[in-house]
Amino acid sequence: MSQFMQWIDDRFPATKVWNEHLAQYYAPKNFNFWYFFGSLALLVLVNQILTGIWLTMNYTPTGEGAYASVEFIMRDVEWGWLLRYMHGVGASAFFVVVYMHMFRGLLYGSFRKPRELVWIFGMIIFVLLMAEGFMGYLLPWGNMSYWGAQVIINLFSAVPVVGEDLAVWIRGDFIISGATLNRFFALHVVALPMALLLMVFLHIVALHKVGSNNPDGVDIKKLKDGNGIPKDGIAFHPYYTVKDIVAVGVFLFLFCWIIFFAPEMGGYFFEPPNFTPADPLKTPEHIAPVWYFTPYYSVLKAVPNQGLGVIAMAASLVILFFLPWLDRSPVLSIRYKSSIYTWALMLFVVAFFILGYLGMKAPSEGRTLVARICTIYYFAFFVGMPWWSRWGKTKPVPTRVNYK
Amino acid sequence: MKNFIKISLFALASVSTSILAAGGGEILPNDNMPSYSDHRLSVSMQNGMQIYMNNCMGCHSLEFQRYNRAAKDLDIPEKLVVENLMFTGEKIGDLMTNNMPAAAAEKWFGTAPPDLSLIARSRNPHWLYNYLRSFYKDDARPYGMNNTVFKDVGMPHALQALQGIQDKTDEVKSLENDIAYAEGDIAAARQAIKDGGKKGEQNKKIADAEKIVHEHKDTLKKLSKEGKYFVLIKEGELSPKDFDSAMVDLVNFLEYVGEPIKRERKAMGVYVLLFILFFTAVAYLLKKEYWKDVKKND
Repeated sequence: MSQFMQWIDDRFPATKVWNEHLAQYYAPKNFNFWYFFGSLALLVLVNQILTGIWLTMNYTPTGEGAYASVEFIMRDVEWGWLLRYMHGVGASAFFVVVYMHMFRGLLYGSFRKPRELVWIFGMIIFVLLMAEGFMGYLLPWGNMSYWGAQVIINLFSAVPVVGEDLAVWIRGDFIISGATLNRFFALHVVALPMALLLMVFLHIVALHKVGSNNPDGVDIKKLKDGNGIPKDGIAFHPYYTVKDIVAVGVFLFLFCWIIFFAPEMGGYFFEPPNFTPADPLKTPEHIAPVWYFTPYYSVLKAVPNQGLGVIAMAASLVILFFLPWLDRSPVLSIRYKSSIYTWALMLFVVAFFILGYLGMKAPSEGRTLVARICTIYYFAFFVGMPWWSRWGKTKPVPTRVNYK
Repeated sequence: MKNFIKISLFALASVSTSILAAGGGEILPNDNMPSYSDHRLSVSMQNGMQIYMNNCMGCHSLEFQRYNRAAKDLDIPEKLVVENLMFTGEKIGDLMTNNMPAAAAEKWFGTAPPDLSLIARSRNPHWLYNYLRSFYKDDARPYGMNNTVFKDVGMPHALQALQGIQDKTDEVKSLENDIAYAEGDIAAARQAIKDGGKKGEQNKKIADAEKIVHEHKDTLKKLSKEGKYFVLIKEGELSPKDFDSAMVDLVNFLEYVGEPIKRERKAMGVYVLLFILFFTAVAYLLKKEYWKDVKKND
């Protein structure tokens, strides 16, 4: 065996890579609940790719055949229903996991120096994921697929001067048609997954270069033992691999509970109007994007002018990229930041949930007002951060991590 | 930190409550369909299939459903299906299509009768159950029938022979009349305000009318709950009780067709979850064993 590995290692750095990224990658030993979501995101990514590959084996990417081929998968393909539910519920699970993962960053300042690129690569992954979700949602060619895409693509026509041409360029037609479906299929199954995999690779390489942050925001590399191993670090493998497997179990329990007992999740993962074929002449009563887009959709709707609304929606994403330079607090973790940060972040979470909820609902005067207040807070939180993050008194940061 | 978990859980809880509250909507009548399981459900679905093939299939295809799959899932011997439920020489492995000419049908009914393979998923069983029982006499409609759940529906009352003909009770008619008048008053008062009428006076009118609308709608709901919404004016082959039960069967069949794997996946799910539970327990013990090495801060 060792001879065989030697043979490999002489030609390819297998052992070196294994050690650098797993067996001798030292992560802080005080990771908590919030640190499960990175590996869970990886798990869901693999799930999406594998189920996606098998779905493509029976899916027909044409306006005439798409809807029927999805029902063919649901009924006539052996275990096809399971593949589809794993993929469809997996899409929602991906966003749940990624939102939790990003929130962890906000809690413990994981985006702060020297992890700016980790955060930026992560944000690119998030944007790619949104594109994946949006294009994938058109593929079943149900009526909500059709009208959802219609609404979102029409947003681009609000761009001054070139708007209309831009929308036609995206659709490949003057209305959403088979041409749109085909190109979305190509992007969804080839282009975007490749970009996604590349970015995930870069995200991890960047992370392993600078090392993981932790709930105390303490730099464990400052305190090393005689062998050059951080005193508060433990090898990722086996300690965090076995720990993450427990989280995988808990995650799979919830995931499978949904797949086997409530795959539609009350109409939020699979929307009822999508069980009627796409019909350009029949608008669903109420068009709402899938739940993971609704906070940004709310921002869009909150702005009275459509063009400015589109800009606001884009800005609500773009501003996240700048987070590493917005937070000016002398400490990283919420544990040692002033209570101002705690309250501001809690309010942000509340505003985000409210925006998400309102994005699913038909607008009314009261709702629009609430959405506007939340939108203003959303932007104030980030734009004001360079100032307010310096307010208040921080607590002293320990030299070692807290581990009980 | 604890606060954060609490807040996140609270936020999640409120979102899931809103998820549960979604759906349903305001329909009248809004009766709950009894739910069956196991053998009782199979029998119900079988009867539902029979009702469907005899009364619905002529216009509404089930283009994604195969005869033999239904036979297998509903425990009906294939021979029985071929002899009793297939009328136009199809093969047992065929999809359940029909020969409704779509263009002509659109002329006849205003819209072509839709395929019903997924109707139980795009609507929902609760809606279907109430819809099927809510046709009532309305001379203003081309086929003399209307529906309270799906207003001005193009479909004639296909199950009239079974149910007979029902009409809204006098009490319901009078309440609905009052609501229409009150709504008219509200519109008129709003217009009056726009035209420069006295705000206080008109707003009082609006409030009074809204109160009437609100109270009457509550009364309608109450009447519907008590079974006093419709009255049978011409008897059908089935008693009202038997007709309701037949509609439960029909909806159960449509729910099956909407997702043939549904019963099986739920049965399977129990074992999947049990396995994951076992797996997680083992993983947890493994983690505990490994983490014995990880020391507290020295």
